[in-house]
Amino acid sequence: MNASLRRIAVAARKEFLHIIRDPQSLFIVIMLPVVMMFLYGYALNADIHNAELVIEQPVPSPAARVLESRLDGSPFFAVTQILPPSSDPTQVFRARHTRALLRLPPDLDAGLRRPGAASMQVVVDGSDPNVGAQMRAAVEGATQKILLDHLNMKPPKILDQRTVVLYNPQQRSALFFVPGLMAIILLMISALLTSIAITKEKETGTLSQLLITPLRPREIIAGKLLPYVALASLDGILILTVGYLVFGVRVAGSVTFLALCSLAYIFTALSIGLLISTLAKRQLHAMMMTQLATMLPTVMLSGFIFPVSSMPMVLRGISHIVPATYYLQIVRGIILKGVGLHELWIPLLVLCAQGILLFMISVFKFRVKL
Amino acid sequence: METSIETRDLTRRFGDFVAVDRLTLRVERGEVFGFLGANGAGKTTAIRMLCGLLQPSSGSGKVAGCDIQTETDRIRSRIGYMPQKFALYPDFSVEMNLQLYGGLYGLQGDVLRTRMETVGKLLSLEPLLSRRTDSIPWGWQQRLNLACAILHQPEIVFLDEPTASVDPVSRRQFWDIIAELAASGTTIFVTSHYMDEVEYCGRVAILVQGGLAALDSPAGLKKTYGHTSLGDVFLDVVERAQTRGTAA
Repeated sequence: MNASLRRIAVAARKEFLHIIRDPQSLFIVIMLPVVMMFLYGYALNADIHNAELVIEQPVPSPAARVLESRLDGSPFFAVTQILPPSSDPTQVFRARHTRALLRLPPDLDAGLRRPGAASMQVVVDGSDPNVGAQMRAAVEGATQKILLDHLNMKPPKILDQRTVVLYNPQQRSALFFVPGLMAIILLMISALLTSIAITKEKETGTLSQLLITPLRPREIIAGKLLPYVALASLDGILILTVGYLVFGVRVAGSVTFLALCSLAYIFTALSIGLLISTLAKRQLHAMMMTQLATMLPTVMLSGFIFPVSSMPMVLRGISHIVPATYYLQIVRGIILKGVGLHELWIPLLVLCAQGILLFMISVFKFRVKL
Repeated sequence: METSIETRDLTRRFGDFVAVDRLTLRVERGEVFGFLGANGAGKTTAIRMLCGLLQPSSGSGKVAGCDIQTETDRIRSRIGYMPQKFALYPDFSVEMNLQLYGGLYGLQGDVLRTRMETVGKLLSLEPLLSRRTDSIPWGWQQRLNLACAILHQPEIVFLDEPTASVDPVSRRQFWDIIAELAASGTTIFVTSHYMDEVEYCGRVAILVQGGLAALDSPAGLKKTYGHTSLGDVFLDVVERAQTRGTAA
């Protein structure tokens, strides 16, 4: 046993040296999560911020001026143009001047004095449905608020409905993408890099040379996987640190519990990488298989971008076998809601079961193939 | 004399195909034993069984005193194997590859250092220790391959076509080293289909379609078959065995 542990240490050290001695890959492994975070955080940010807004105003009036200045002054919009009424309101969209147009009536002030008489129209560019929907909600909400707060209008009482948003009251997308990136990056390091590393040794013949030594197949596997556990953990810590320092994402729950659950996820992902390495003959195959079998379903079907509940039956079925689906439930639960084992034991159990099953299959296949 | 390798009716089938057919051999300690055969004659399958990587279908064998079916772990720590294809890590330095293989065989500390010095001297690898392995010439990479295979002082070294595509001068030097190893009591088991390599062997076995077709010293083989070169002997043996095979 002692000799076996020593051999595992030698094999793990060797794998670690491979990683260290390839500074380009190491740089990518460390920079990728950081770059992806900044991309998701800034470039792919779907939050409405300083969006261009055009107002169509037939007659200047005090109410119209209040509306214009308040909209322009809000963090959501920048009023870029005040237009006279036109026969073709789509002109501003075709010229791509804006995504939303607010059309005020000629008798705005008079209409506001009589309850229920004022009308205005919001025209939204729906060519990107998500942005369109967000713009619509933002313009409507902001206009209503200005009318209530600054023009002394009273809301018609039908039902006093108030919405409270929990866990992410400002609806910041950072709280949403940090857990998602954890799922993607950890999977990429664990599944993609290990499957490539093992397939590479198969391709060059070094794997069969290792088998002639006293190194046992299980020791080869352990030595291969350990450095990638460390690397994936490092990336996990990096994502949480950048998330906290740059995007202000705090882990509401237990960090220790989050680390333990992440290790379970890393273990599952490593098993997938190992399984792929028993199937793939070349590094390129391994790369494409991992992309297809893990990255794609994780990005599309885990609930990272699209909610699982709104998927068609078949895709929902597939999403239930994607490990990231469960990991995402866990990470969101811990980071946003601060919940623990009591609420998360089901997804954690599924994740661990998937990991153990995949690990057993891949170790068995690994030995048979050798 | 002490026996290093011994097999009795060693057989391996893959489905209906008989890769190795009732092979019976005995190799003495310190012998340089040549294992000759055309591609597909069963050399690799036989070696894999002797190294404990493949279980025989029937028959038995002992390598370095260990049973090839039940004591494969002990066999692996007592043999060295140098593959035909370079199988070390190109991104490592020469020294790192030696350290890795020493470590895998359980060598560490002073023992490892002393062995690396001895082997480095024997194979003249000392000036190259800090070089990246993929930056040294092919002949030297082969030497490093051998160095990694003998670092742990194995009782038997298996060489799989060791000097394929190596220049004649390097080849000569390589065989001098092999002779030195054998003189110090290491058994050398060489597979090849290069006749000039086989001339260095004490005894040569010729394998045809998985079975042993001839076994003698190079001089004895030439005398028996009445040829001046081992190449002609080899062709003769293969031809006779195949005619026998079709007749039967």
